[in-house]
Amino acid sequence: MKLKKVFLALGLGMCIMMTGCGSAKQTGSSTASTGEAKEIQAIKDRGVLKVGVKVDVPKYGYKNPKTGQIEGFEIDLSKAIAKKILGDENKVEFQGVTAKTRGPLLDNGEIDMVAATFTITEERKKSYNFSDAYMKDGVGLLVKKSLGVSSLKDLNNKTIGVAQSATTKAALQDEAGKQGITLKFSELGGYPELKAALDSGRIDCFAVDASILNGYVDDSTVILDDRYNPQEYGIASKKDNTELAKVINGVISEMKSSGEIDKLITKWEIK
Amino acid sequence: MNGPFSIFKWEAVFKDFSIFLEGFLTTLEVSILGLILALILGVIFGVLSTGKIKVFKIISRIYVEVIQNTPLVIQVFFLFNGLPYLKIVLPVFLIGVLGVGVYHGAYISEVVRTGITSIAKGQFEAAKSQGFSHIQTMRYIILPQTVKIIIPPLANQLVNLIKNTSILSMIAGGDLMYTADSWSSANMYYGPAYVVTGILYFLLCYPLAIFSRKLELKEKNKVSINTEDSIQGQVIATEGGL
Amino acid sequence: MSTVFNQANIMFLLEGMKLTLTIALISIALSMFFGTILAILRNFSKGILGRFATIYIEIFRNTPLLLWILSIRFLVPIRPMYSGILSFTLFTSAIMAEIFRGGMNSVSKGQYEAAYSQGFSKFQTLRYIILPQSFRRCIPTFLSQAVTVIKDTSFLWAVGIEEFTGKGMILMGSFATSFQIFLLFGALAGMYFIINFTISCGVRTIKTEY
Repeated sequence: MKLKKVFLALGLGMCIMMTGCGSAKQTGSSTASTGEAKEIQAIKDRGVLKVGVKVDVPKYGYKNPKTGQIEGFEIDLSKAIAKKILGDENKVEFQGVTAKTRGPLLDNGEIDMVAATFTITEERKKSYNFSDAYMKDGVGLLVKKSLGVSSLKDLNNKTIGVAQSATTKAALQDEAGKQGITLKFSELGGYPELKAALDSGRIDCFAVDASILNGYVDDSTVILDDRYNPQEYGIASKKDNTELAKVINGVISEMKSSGEIDKLITKWEIK
Repeated sequence: MNGPFSIFKWEAVFKDFSIFLEGFLTTLEVSILGLILALILGVIFGVLSTGKIKVFKIISRIYVEVIQNTPLVIQVFFLFNGLPYLKIVLPVFLIGVLGVGVYHGAYISEVVRTGITSIAKGQFEAAKSQGFSHIQTMRYIILPQTVKIIIPPLANQLVNLIKNTSILSMIAGGDLMYTADSWSSANMYYGPAYVVTGILYFLLCYPLAIFSRKLELKEKNKVSINTEDSIQGQVIATEGGL
Repeated sequence: MSTVFNQANIMFLLEGMKLTLTIALISIALSMFFGTILAILRNFSKGILGRFATIYIEIFRNTPLLLWILSIRFLVPIRPMYSGILSFTLFTSAIMAEIFRGGMNSVSKGQYEAAYSQGFSKFQTLRYIILPQSFRRCIPTFLSQAVTVIKDTSFLWAVGIEEFTGKGMILMGSFATSFQIFLLFGALAGMYFIINFTISCGVRTIKTEY
């Protein structure tokens, strides 16, 4: 009998949760239809723009151990957007995210936008708004020099380490199909784990966007020349926040045409 | 239409339910094997720590203190990324079993130790006076009584063990937690995925908790000699020394 | 050795430890408080509150901590540190409740009867006679649970929260020789060990007073 009560409570709890999100959905849609500037206003009221960035990708979003500050190309981009919305580029609050957490945190409103090496895909466009691309990159393969491989084909039947939620696995599976080879995948939670797994030999190859790999290559490893699935990074915002997406896109396009983006790319020595 | 618990996300979960079941099976396998390992280690070290040989007592103490005072996460990460440097590359499943087995083995050995020491000293002396050796005393007099006392805390450890198999999700271990994570990180349908995962774990653990409570009541009614009146023992009996 | 333990790295790791201890200590304090309330509700409340307490405790005791850490991080829009505190508090309150119930149940029935015979109301009995005794009995086990909470903060790394283990793992990415790796693992484990062992020794001293 106790069991029955517990199940009843679980069921009740689930119903409450679903109605909860149902009502949340309603308030979301009303905001979109009536208050165009409401989302922007909320940010202005709050006084700070909350941005999710990487903290472990040198040149893009990296927490400098010496200064304790997060710095990088995407940090500068976010600051420019904060300047546009709030008038001050320092009115921005950065939160470290990983490939796994950036989507959910955007969904639940903990961050307003994501500038974290977020690749634009058709699939993702269904769930998020993306700005125009600000950077182009491709999937790269990091391997130990001692492994002696030179291309993806040599990695037939080997284990590739990828990050959860990254586009890497899908991209490589596609490529493997085309080349007629089989790959094994190991999904780990973050880049540090993947690097450690590569070092220890758990995985034969650490695969992720080449720009991210640049931060992890060292004397014993090498990034193969192959690049797959050319991908573009965009700034993501919540699907309902159409006004914010417009503003973000405005800033990005402006920066592209004025050459600001190129200046930043040179500043951060991104190839 | 796009809340974390939207209907279409629930539908997706039920469509792919077999994937979740596979993960559930792995969790089950790791739990059972892990429990066997933990019980073996627990009994061995528990008995050793109450024995006469000082060296064994020290080894047992070190085992328990080190394992109980360091995080399971660090222990498992060490097995996963540290051992390979010694050329020992264990399959992830084995790491799961070893990880939770050794970890909970330390806790179970403490439960066994407390159980043994809570048995009235008089029993040891009576047995000795009758000519029983230490091993015989353990085997025929002490351990049978201990078993009855330690069932609740043991069940508690078993439930904790099952829950701790979720550590496998951090090393791509294919258990239920990893499956839920992996599946939902691909399509972002984490709301329903996590609820279903929670229910599955609950279905696995709750019956065990109830079963142990029933056993405890049955034993309480059977045993007429109340060997359990130390306050410590009672608190541990309910909460299992964690 | 100096590559692993230079100034910058040690500061980096200590930042993580600060977060670990902050989350752990706040969660422990809050969950002791809520756990006590839940335990009293479960034992003495026959109505809806009692049932709520029972259901709450059973749900959190039979599901993994990692699941809650993930769910709360992804579904509740609060900052990482608060997300960690919330997950741990919700989860550990259930465990503290059971510890406290054990303590309460170990107080002999005679105490209740003696109190009632002296004219104490149910509430007064609880407040002046039962709870103080129960609490004292639970302190060792509460502290053991505190040790477990400090260790389990390492699970927060699964959602990218940079507590001590997380910082350690990030740091580990920059080393590739077995010596450095083992040294770092040793240091991480050692740090947890020192903190927890100290608490455990404290527990043992308290226990011997009984």
